[in-house]
Amino acid sequence: MRLRALPAPVWLLTPWAVVYGAFFVFPFVFSFVLGFLDYNPLNVANTRFVGLDHAARLFTDPAFHGALRNTLLFVLGTVPLTTALALVLAWCLRGPMPLKGVLKAAMFLPSILSIVVIALLFKLVYAPGGALNEALATVGIPGHGWLTDPRTALPAIMAMDVWAAVGYYALVLHAAFTSIPESLYEAADLEGAGAWATFRHVTFPMLKPAIGFVLVINAIRSFQVFVEVLVMTQGGPLGSTNTMVMYLYETAFSRLDYGYASVIAYAVFILSGIFSIFALRRFRSETGSRGVVA
Amino acid sequence: MKWTRGLLLLVIVATMAYPLAWMLSVSMRTPEGTSLRYYAEVWQAGPFDRYFINSLLVTGIVLAGNIVFCAMAGYAFARFKIRGARFLFMLVLSTIMLPKQVILVPLYIQMQRMGLIDSYAALTLPFLVDPFNIFLIRQYLLSIPTDCEEAARMDGAGEATILFRVVFPMLKPVLAVVAIHTCLTNWNSFLFPFILTNSTDMRTLPVGLALLSQGAHSIDWGHLMAGAVISALPVVAAFLVFQRRIIGGLTAGISR
Repeated sequence: MRLRALPAPVWLLTPWAVVYGAFFVFPFVFSFVLGFLDYNPLNVANTRFVGLDHAARLFTDPAFHGALRNTLLFVLGTVPLTTALALVLAWCLRGPMPLKGVLKAAMFLPSILSIVVIALLFKLVYAPGGALNEALATVGIPGHGWLTDPRTALPAIMAMDVWAAVGYYALVLHAAFTSIPESLYEAADLEGAGAWATFRHVTFPMLKPAIGFVLVINAIRSFQVFVEVLVMTQGGPLGSTNTMVMYLYETAFSRLDYGYASVIAYAVFILSGIFSIFALRRFRSETGSRGVVA
Repeated sequence: MKWTRGLLLLVIVATMAYPLAWMLSVSMRTPEGTSLRYYAEVWQAGPFDRYFINSLLVTGIVLAGNIVFCAMAGYAFARFKIRGARFLFMLVLSTIMLPKQVILVPLYIQMQRMGLIDSYAALTLPFLVDPFNIFLIRQYLLSIPTDCEEAARMDGAGEATILFRVVFPMLKPVLAVVAIHTCLTNWNSFLFPFILTNSTDMRTLPVGLALLSQGAHSIDWGHLMAGAVISALPVVAAFLVFQRRIIGGLTAGISR
């Protein structure tokens, strides 16, 4: 059939619809179905319907509880800290200053690197003879096996995440800072407002949407923490860095328990979905008219 | 105030630079002094030459797909009154935010059943149309007037001609952002390429790098960091050239 015979929107949307249907909607629904099945890839003929057994297992499985706890610790430990630091950095960047371009580039650099590169780099930094212990040695603090001690392994990965993420969010907030009209500050100045009052009554309210957005996208991303764990600790030592997606990966590809893995996947989905709803609201409120690209 | 600010920022830059400098120094510190030996070895025996070509190929194909298909979809969503368009567009938006891990297992099974595991098809097909790019293009189109398109339509041009001859050139700024976002995401992508391939010949750079780190009993940091530098180099080089555009494209638009 000639293209012209089809209404334009139909053929315009076809490539998207095909890819989206075949490689997103279908597996998404398939995943939901899998959650009710006992499906072993080595013995597909023996697939059984087990109803809510897998879902019930979530509530009694101590390994999942550990993974959930570690993931929540990760999200709650990194997201507010990253946002606060990013806010401070964005505040420091305002106004003209020498070498601003270099500063911004340095801050942005980690966000263009693959998480695998960053994770390996920090595995080296945290290694017994690595950069961190060497730096500590110069001030006389004894070294530590950061990734081999169950008490410090997760915090070490969290610190890395803050390092890798803070520059990006600082620049996002910086972009929001620069969009605050100068006249508001002049008005605050005329009213005799001090630095703190200006921040509280001018800067913060104007930045609120951007801060909210940064919190939400960072939280969604952090719920999915996995690659850094796989590369650095594989969930150990003693399960201290086991996260939900790490557990999902292990359940599926080491234990070949695809059914249970799908239920874990849906748990991740629902938890970060709660955050997605907030994010979607923001997106929706701006899909009306404004262009996104500056 | 000015000094504290300067000092604070200096500390930040040092914190950012220290691990990266450490990476470089380890990759070049061989027993016989500073050399690029580890780079040469990892390139040939790693085999990072193969990983590099795979990454380049996959990123190129996915980029081309996104430029064409997302422009088509973005144009349709921005310019046509379609029944159910609101619902469809909400579908696009919701996909941006979803954790992709939900489809990890079923996509693996699906690819296995289709006989596509360990193929370029598995590495590219699912990523040809990124919903975020559709969103960017639609938003951009809504911010520019339709005059040129209307004029072309008056002259009797078909929709394909209008899109690719009239609209496409106007999309340049947003397509630059689409290209940056798509290249970065796919060049650095790990999880899906890792799951969907299993032979050395089909690995991409991040996957090959991660596997190199798991191989031996004691980690060979020199080769590993050389591999890390190799996989980061193209992105860092592109970043140094297009710095302003990349930072602007990835931060300014999204937050407001």
